[in-house]
Amino acid sequence: MKEFRRQSALLGILLLAVAIPALAHVGSADVYYEGDAGPYHLFVTVRVPQVVPGVAEIEVRSQTGDVNAIQIVPLRLSGPGSTFPPTPDFAARSKDDPQFFTGSLWLMESGALQVRITVDGAKGKGELSVPVASFAQRTYPMQRPLAGLMIVLMLILGIGVISIVGAGAREASLERGETPGPASARRAKIAIAVTIILVLGLVYLGKAWWGAEDSNYKNRVAFYKPPTAETTLENGNRLVIRAKSENPTWSAKINMGEVIPDHNHLMHLFLIELPGMNRMWHLHPTLLQGGAFADDLPAMPAGHYQVFADVVDARGFPWTLVGTVDLPQINGGALTGDDSSWSGEAIASQQDQLVSQLPGGGRMIWERDPGALKANSAMDFKFSVQGKDGKPVQDLEPYMGMAGHAEFVRSDLSVFAHVHPAGSVPMASLEMAQAGLLGDTPSMQGMAMTPKNETLPAEVSFPYGFPKPGDYRIFVQVKRAGQVETGVFDAHVQ
Amino acid sequence: MAGTISIEQVHARSAERADAATASIPWYIWCCLASVVSCVLGSAWDISWHESIGRDSFWTAAHMLIYLSGVLAGISCGYLILYTTFRKDSPLFDVSISMWGFRGPLGAFICAWGAVAMIASAPFDNWWHNSYGLDVKILSPPHVLLALGMIGIRFGLLVMVLAEMNRAEGIYRQRLERILFVTVVFLMGMTVGIAQEFTNRVFMHSARFYLVIMITAPIWVATVAWVAKNRWAATIMTAMFTALHLFFVWGFPLVPAEPKLGPVYQHITHLVPPDFPVLLIIPAIIFDLLRRRTADWSRWKQAVTLGAAFLVSFVAVQWPFANFLMSPASRNRIFQTTNYPYFIPSTSPWVRNIYIPTEHAPAQFWIRMLVALCVSILMVRLGIAWGEWMRRIRR
Repeated sequence: MKEFRRQSALLGILLLAVAIPALAHVGSADVYYEGDAGPYHLFVTVRVPQVVPGVAEIEVRSQTGDVNAIQIVPLRLSGPGSTFPPTPDFAARSKDDPQFFTGSLWLMESGALQVRITVDGAKGKGELSVPVASFAQRTYPMQRPLAGLMIVLMLILGIGVISIVGAGAREASLERGETPGPASARRAKIAIAVTIILVLGLVYLGKAWWGAEDSNYKNRVAFYKPPTAETTLENGNRLVIRAKSENPTWSAKINMGEVIPDHNHLMHLFLIELPGMNRMWHLHPTLLQGGAFADDLPAMPAGHYQVFADVVDARGFPWTLVGTVDLPQINGGALTGDDSSWSGEAIASQQDQLVSQLPGGGRMIWERDPGALKANSAMDFKFSVQGKDGKPVQDLEPYMGMAGHAEFVRSDLSVFAHVHPAGSVPMASLEMAQAGLLGDTPSMQGMAMTPKNETLPAEVSFPYGFPKPGDYRIFVQVKRAGQVETGVFDAHVQ
Repeated sequence: MAGTISIEQVHARSAERADAATASIPWYIWCCLASVVSCVLGSAWDISWHESIGRDSFWTAAHMLIYLSGVLAGISCGYLILYTTFRKDSPLFDVSISMWGFRGPLGAFICAWGAVAMIASAPFDNWWHNSYGLDVKILSPPHVLLALGMIGIRFGLLVMVLAEMNRAEGIYRQRLERILFVTVVFLMGMTVGIAQEFTNRVFMHSARFYLVIMITAPIWVATVAWVAKNRWAATIMTAMFTALHLFFVWGFPLVPAEPKLGPVYQHITHLVPPDFPVLLIIPAIIFDLLRRRTADWSRWKQAVTLGAAFLVSFVAVQWPFANFLMSPASRNRIFQTTNYPYFIPSTSPWVRNIYIPTEHAPAQFWIRMLVALCVSILMVRLGIAWGEWMRRIRR
């Protein structure tokens, strides 16, 4: 019933290579994850399909050369569908790089899924699970040559059926050798006229059906577009945020009152001053009755701000609320708890900035290979922190349970990604994925949820890949001696 | 005067009848029958494959059977048309029709059209998957185009058999009539099968289910009853339909299979069979009995009686049978009501054996039932007209 499936998959892969990610999550749908499958340290990239059901490309790099085989399998993140894995696929080892494995997986559903990876090697077996937000991002229009071919074939079929009916009405009941008379010809004309009406009716109904299917699919695409962050300012400094989607079924299915904590907070709110991105706040609003969030803003200058607000729903699916807000001068208090801020230079155009001065006198350095940055290339973004004396600092401590937080923002705001040392997956989703691994422990997943008082190395890294070319600003946040410090870097991506 | 025949043609017809009594089934009918059987097996296997294993490729055996169907019908009928067109000594030349400068049996043109429709559906389906994702449902525009192609081949075979049958007599005609029954079974299997998303047991206490069955089944029952000489034609055809369906219901669970796509909601160890067949055999028996008693009536009066009897008797047996299918008593190897596709969550009404109402008010239910009654009558009338036309097919 489903011809050319293999060609579908191959064409889908080709299309993935040239596709522009849609504005969702936000504009950065691929998943980057770094963690441990038992004794094996892996860097995993899941390139999600543009249409669902569709093919995800899985790339796994092992840090060591002792991996013999890698199996991959998709499941639901939680609930029904997370207990019966299908037959796993073997990822193929690269001929050029024996530590690099690739495979393809069909993601059959939208929503919170996971890709479970089982490693077999010299140190025995290991397992990890990577949460994947699966959602349809777009539809593809029919290419002109194919549209031309289809029109020709449909014309042949349409005219063919009319001609067959006409010929049948004229001649089918004639005896051997008998020639059609006027009555036969008249009957044929009537049959042709009726068939033309039927064919046109069928074409009309088919087009209407196609339009309805297209509309349904586009509704599903719209469902997963980032909801709007509707903001109101109350009492001069209390910012209230409500999620609102264009899609009418969104609010019926997604309950903001049931979001789950993601590294200690229900919402991570980023306010970025526009147009230069020269100020940034990372705040943590609290949940109100009815699914709204509110935060007493700290002191802030008047300005036009971009809003990105990250939450994770009860099923483990991450949502980023997107909006803008014009704020007057806010006479708020000092930052409290895990809240943090930064101010500095506006984003640079078409150039990289590799060193960022920190407020405490030290500096943060982006340790990267020379050469141009490429879009869709999985990388480990490494940043080292130096004190005033130029030496690696000894006083880094966990910030919200992790060595650091990084936010990647494209200059046109079409991309926003909140990334951790474990990667672009939300930590709340990762905990749900981990719960499904038998006999596993947090350390086996390499979750980088570090104990609060532990001293950390002076270098922090984030697995990620820029989704498309352009200018990006990267905010890197670490905690030193109880103070959050933010390093800011600019990147031009080709 | 056109439309009349000469004395030579009368002699030729007598000779033809004499030949027809001892003739064997021509090769092109066997080719098209093989094409249809290949398509039936391939389609049933493919649907079960998608429900059990999920992932497939261009080269699965089920796909190969479907492609073979199109290729076999396309090549055999294409050759037959070319041979009849360019070989003036072809025995089919003066029992063929002409179209676009070609000559051949009407059924061959219809089969060739079906093969082109199947080919046209392939790039359309390919694009559909790329644009809207791999479909997990049967009813989509490219699949309907494919189904039209499949129906075209089956209908073409039917017309070819009819043309041969209506020129034949004696044992040869009886042999052809058996092929006729098989062909109509496959046609009804196609129309009932493509609507299976609406005929699941959870819908059997809703009017839409009965409307769908009335759209897809009575036309074939009436057609075969009017075109075949056998007084139990409708019963034989629906019995064969039920037997074919049961072959898949009981056969597929014998083949080991496990899902290769996820998420998986059902533990699958074998090919998932289709649902137990609907009880069309009972209304078909009633149809045959009533047909004899109403033979002298006008066609419309017959259609009203037979159409109404078909619907009423079907509701009378299927409604309580649905209760049985929902009950624990049906959860065994005979009725196979615990076999669900891997992608059906346990929370689904299907798994929980809960009826899904497709009408939300009694008035809506009864209006739709009334529509089903009208459709049943119309389909029977259409089947009668079609059957009578089919009796006249000679080419």
